[in-house]
Amino acid sequence: MATMEMDDPKMGNKVHWEPKDLLSGVSLKQILFSNDYRYIALKGIFTAFIMLALGGMFAIIFRTELAIPDVQIMGARVYMTLMTLHGMVMVFGFLIPMVVSISYYMIPKVLGTERLLWAGAAQWSYWLLIVAAVLLVIGRPDFTWTAYAPMSTRTGNPLIWMGHVAILLVAISEFLAGAVLFRNALASKGGLKNTPLIAWAAGTIGLLFMVSTFPLGFVGFGLLSDWAEWTSVAFFDPSRGGSVKFFLYVFWTYGHPAVYLPFVPAIAIIYTIMPRFLGRPMWSYWSGVAAFVLLSIGALPIGPHHFQPLYTVAGDYQRFIQILTMLVFIPSVLHVFNWISSLFMGPIPDSARRAIPFKFMVFSIAFIVYGGATAFLNAQIAPNSDFIHNTYWIPAHFHAMFFGFAGQMAFAGIYFLYPYFTGRMYNQTLGNWHFWLWQVGLFVKITGMGVAGYLYFPRWVYDYLDISGWATTQMFITIGGYMVALGFLFFLVNLFWSAKHGKEVTGDPWPVVHDLKAAPAAQPAE
Amino acid sequence: MENALGISGPQAIMMAITASFTILGMVMLLAAMLMKARWKPSYAVEFVFVGIMLGLAWYGDLTSVKTYTAYQANLNAEERRISGNYDGLGEEAFDKVVTVIAFQWGFGFINEEEEISRNALMVKPGETVLLKIMSNDVIHGFNIPVAQITAEIDPDEKREMWIRAPDEPGQYLIQCVNYCGIGHAQMKAWLVVDAGEENNGENS
Repeated sequence: MATMEMDDPKMGNKVHWEPKDLLSGVSLKQILFSNDYRYIALKGIFTAFIMLALGGMFAIIFRTELAIPDVQIMGARVYMTLMTLHGMVMVFGFLIPMVVSISYYMIPKVLGTERLLWAGAAQWSYWLLIVAAVLLVIGRPDFTWTAYAPMSTRTGNPLIWMGHVAILLVAISEFLAGAVLFRNALASKGGLKNTPLIAWAAGTIGLLFMVSTFPLGFVGFGLLSDWAEWTSVAFFDPSRGGSVKFFLYVFWTYGHPAVYLPFVPAIAIIYTIMPRFLGRPMWSYWSGVAAFVLLSIGALPIGPHHFQPLYTVAGDYQRFIQILTMLVFIPSVLHVFNWISSLFMGPIPDSARRAIPFKFMVFSIAFIVYGGATAFLNAQIAPNSDFIHNTYWIPAHFHAMFFGFAGQMAFAGIYFLYPYFTGRMYNQTLGNWHFWLWQVGLFVKITGMGVAGYLYFPRWVYDYLDISGWATTQMFITIGGYMVALGFLFFLVNLFWSAKHGKEVTGDPWPVVHDLKAAPAAQPAE
Repeated sequence: MENALGISGPQAIMMAITASFTILGMVMLLAAMLMKARWKPSYAVEFVFVGIMLGLAWYGDLTSVKTYTAYQANLNAEERRISGNYDGLGEEAFDKVVTVIAFQWGFGFINEEEEISRNALMVKPGETVLLKIMSNDVIHGFNIPVAQITAEIDPDEKREMWIRAPDEPGQYLIQCVNYCGIGHAQMKAWLVVDAGEENNGENS
């Protein structure tokens, strides 16, 4: 059909992937230590599933606690530990490794190199992250993922240094992952004009990884040094001459780029699978390139908007940050416009409408619009004195972006890659259950958080007063959370059942069929 | 619980812009999925969007400053008088001046007679109270839902805010809202509004 266009390599849509059962006849040792990009990716994805299950379980437990005010099913201490682990496990354990692993698989495929350059570094990156996770589990630091000094040096936990070392290891691990992404992006033969968009994404985000993990490493080192009193004058601890403000600047110089680390690879998945489903290239190549470059440049200086409301000063510097933050909307608008235009500029094939990954992709675009447009308020200093900062408005925003968009795009990628990994197609009915439970559950949950934020519900509390509106919204968020968990169970069943009993796939699992009724024989998965 | 500004004033314009952008995005996505007629949008449309974003950044910044001023004015408005930032115009204007020490994990309240109460801020109905909030260990939050104030205090600096005590006698929650360690959730205190005659000498 549109074969000519489909072969346009810079759109990343060349059909050169073969469905294969990667897991049959493979030893555990090979999966764990092979430098084959497919096994590195599979290993990363499986680990991320485990992390997602763990993080989700924590969330379900504390959401149950929050559903009804004044009824306790656990102590505050347990609640806080679960909350901390939920955040850390989801961001560092699930989201970033998941999209990076998918990139490890997709980049060699799209570029046609069929191998991951610097695979050894990817291997180190994986195992260092595992060590960091083990240290976190043993040390059980409870300073949340932001590790604000000097609280993070004064928890009274004698094993707290494990948390600081874990931060250092996460920094090294992410640096290596960034280096691998960057190196593989350079392997593109297309030059500036014909490099696939996924390579542009990997190149820009790889650079951002490498630059921004230095401050994170310094945070880990500085906290360790302050805790062990290696220097006479502390870096961060004000009681020994350090500065809390200095900590905030260092941490958020990593912390803001950190939110793009899962975000940009998720965007790259859209640029890779959307042309495959539509059977035509993206609307614009250069719009995508410009957006990737602008997003990376814009990410570094705007960390201070995370300081709110600690330094809520409507001074010139704050206004500068506020304006820059609003300008970072532009690359995101370029991306979303590009996607919607690509969908709009031609008919949407029946085969795409039916495909679960395509559905996930469309709805994750809806969530990025939802979370992104409402973030126009977050960027401004003014409303934060009222209802935005340190209320549930913020979790609403980052759950829409991290889960509604990046997490769901990761799952679009997983469903898309499923036949390539197992040689079989997933079960459509189970996939639909997963899909709808997540869309409804996520919408209820995120909207509930937004409303709770508007009602001034503070973050980081494990119990609350029965003020009108608070209990109802919390109950809604909990119901949404349960729906998401139920959807994940459908996914797990699908994952294991279809690997054995799904329809076998040969050839292209995602053929573009415009009218399924006219050509029923050409249905996907035949 | 109401917001200080509710759905009116400059903040309402921002909410409206936000809402219309969300709706516009959703409508575009729906059209892309469902509409029969299809064409390739020109680059001009995208540039218009970028132009709108540039305009919004400029407008958002301008309005943000206005809103902030309106917010402060609203908090300090005579008819509300619930809480606000201290403008440094003299402590005599307040019925009571209390130094608040936030620590891991709790609050200490020191009144003008240097009497310390742990975890109970004793006030009379309708009193205006100036709070000088400080922390000598880590970053803490300070939130009184009934007075609609939220602040964060880092160990380097002091915050000065005032509240007007509720007219209804009773106990009202004071809590830390910035995660400050394992005891964060227990870092609570009470704003005790007591109509009794005697002064708050017998704090417990």
